[in-house]
Amino acid sequence: MLDKIRYFILRALRNMRQWPFLCSASILTMAIALATVATFFLVVVNIDQLATRWTREVQVVAYLQKPPAAQNLAALTNKLKSFPEVESVNYVSQSTAMQRFKKHLGSDAGLLDGVNQKLLPASFELGLRPAFRNQQGIATVIEQLEHTLDVDDLHYGQKWLKRFNDFAKMLKFVGVILGGFLLLGALFIVSNTIKLTLYARRDELEIMALVGATMRFIKIPFMLEGAIQGLIGGLLSLVFLTLSFIFIISRSLNSFWLTPTDFDLLFLTVNQQIILVLAGVVLGVLGSLSSLRRFVRI
Amino acid sequence: MIQFYNVSKKYSGDAAAAVKDLTLQVGKGEFLYITGASGAGKTTLLRMLYAAEKPTRGQILIDRQNISRIRSRQIPFLRRKIGVVFQDFKLLQSRTVYENVAFALEAQGKKRYEVSKKVYQVLKEVGLEHRLQRKPLELSGGEQQRVAIARALVVDPLILLADEPSGNLDQTVTFEIMDLFKRANARGTTVLLATHDHSLNQRFPRRVLTLDQGVLVGDQRPSHM
Repeated sequence: MLDKIRYFILRALRNMRQWPFLCSASILTMAIALATVATFFLVVVNIDQLATRWTREVQVVAYLQKPPAAQNLAALTNKLKSFPEVESVNYVSQSTAMQRFKKHLGSDAGLLDGVNQKLLPASFELGLRPAFRNQQGIATVIEQLEHTLDVDDLHYGQKWLKRFNDFAKMLKFVGVILGGFLLLGALFIVSNTIKLTLYARRDELEIMALVGATMRFIKIPFMLEGAIQGLIGGLLSLVFLTLSFIFIISRSLNSFWLTPTDFDLLFLTVNQQIILVLAGVVLGVLGSLSSLRRFVRI
Repeated sequence: MIQFYNVSKKYSGDAAAAVKDLTLQVGKGEFLYITGASGAGKTTLLRMLYAAEKPTRGQILIDRQNISRIRSRQIPFLRRKIGVVFQDFKLLQSRTVYENVAFALEAQGKKRYEVSKKVYQVLKEVGLEHRLQRKPLELSGGEQQRVAIARALVVDPLILLADEPSGNLDQTVTFEIMDLFKRANARGTTVLLATHDHSLNQRFPRRVLTLDQGVLVGDQRPSHM
């Protein structure tokens, strides 16, 4: 048994050495195909991550007709916190609002000298739980707010949120469709490249069958060869991916999507990297198998 | 050893059958020529014997096994009893002489030490033991054919089939090759040699089957047999 395994591995390696051009073509095709799919995956994952981050900023600001009495503030805050949709409650008093405004004006803050500190309204800023950071969640919160507070005005970026929700849905939809097409395309190209390499070696397959080799004996070295090529292709795709991540993905996302400065783009996790390399192995074996079916006839 | 009963073979798309209603018996250890013009059905007859083609009608028995409707997974085991030699040698150009011959034994799952011993022995027999590490293209046509014969003989076949083995060789080399077939035959291997070279039979008289447009039109044995 060991003798056989050793023979199959040696044969696979020897075949690769004997056909260096064909072998490199298969490896490169697999590497490029896998890297393309993985790059696309990274773009989608990062945009999704960015989107999640943006939604964190989804909040409802309720401007009050008059500030609550100091002794009621704690009770009011607790009541707002008790809403199932609400994650955080921040009370912005009239003086805090003025301070923020001054800070915003920066060097022009002097314009506000002598202005009544109570000019700006007090407000509650409500952060929402992730599951409710959508139109419906906001609508529910608003309805409850109107029953709880004397609200003068509400701010919640409704149009922006709707547009964003639509965009996120479309992104996922397009992601699944395009990712599926890319994967199919990659499979097709890899399988055809392997078919070409086998076509160049059809004499060998014919002679093997002629001297009484069984199907298994013919197929195993080719499948092993596919697996080795897939492994190398998978590792190479990881290199391509790292390079494209550094030079293409991060640069273009940073410029197009205006990522916040503290936003770190995501790369594949260790598990995902292992899956990528294993996908290469599976691709190699399946590509070989599907092509062999066509060329090996006993 | 080999029996054909009313065997016909018609390729799809062809108007006429390549082999028609062939009935024939070949005894164990026989040596026979199959002659006829191009397209007479010689190659088809040989291809049916190593199950590269299935007969359209009739039965073929080899060593008491009916191979007319043989299952695909049994074919490799049938081929291990049969050595085949072709006009164009069918050697793997990227492999050495040793590897080409060893290939036949490796395909049968033989152990490494058995392979090397047997390969060296058979290459010595065909006079190529000094060319072990050469690639086929570095050899002459006659030497390449001897490698092909070594590959066919290394498995100790019951039957040796040769399809125009001397088609690309000059007469001296052809006679050397014929000598190898005779020696294999003397050890008990049944030899079927398809050829249209009548000089072979004149120099090495044996039973001759003549095919014409797929029909067996002659079966002559030399007078001394």
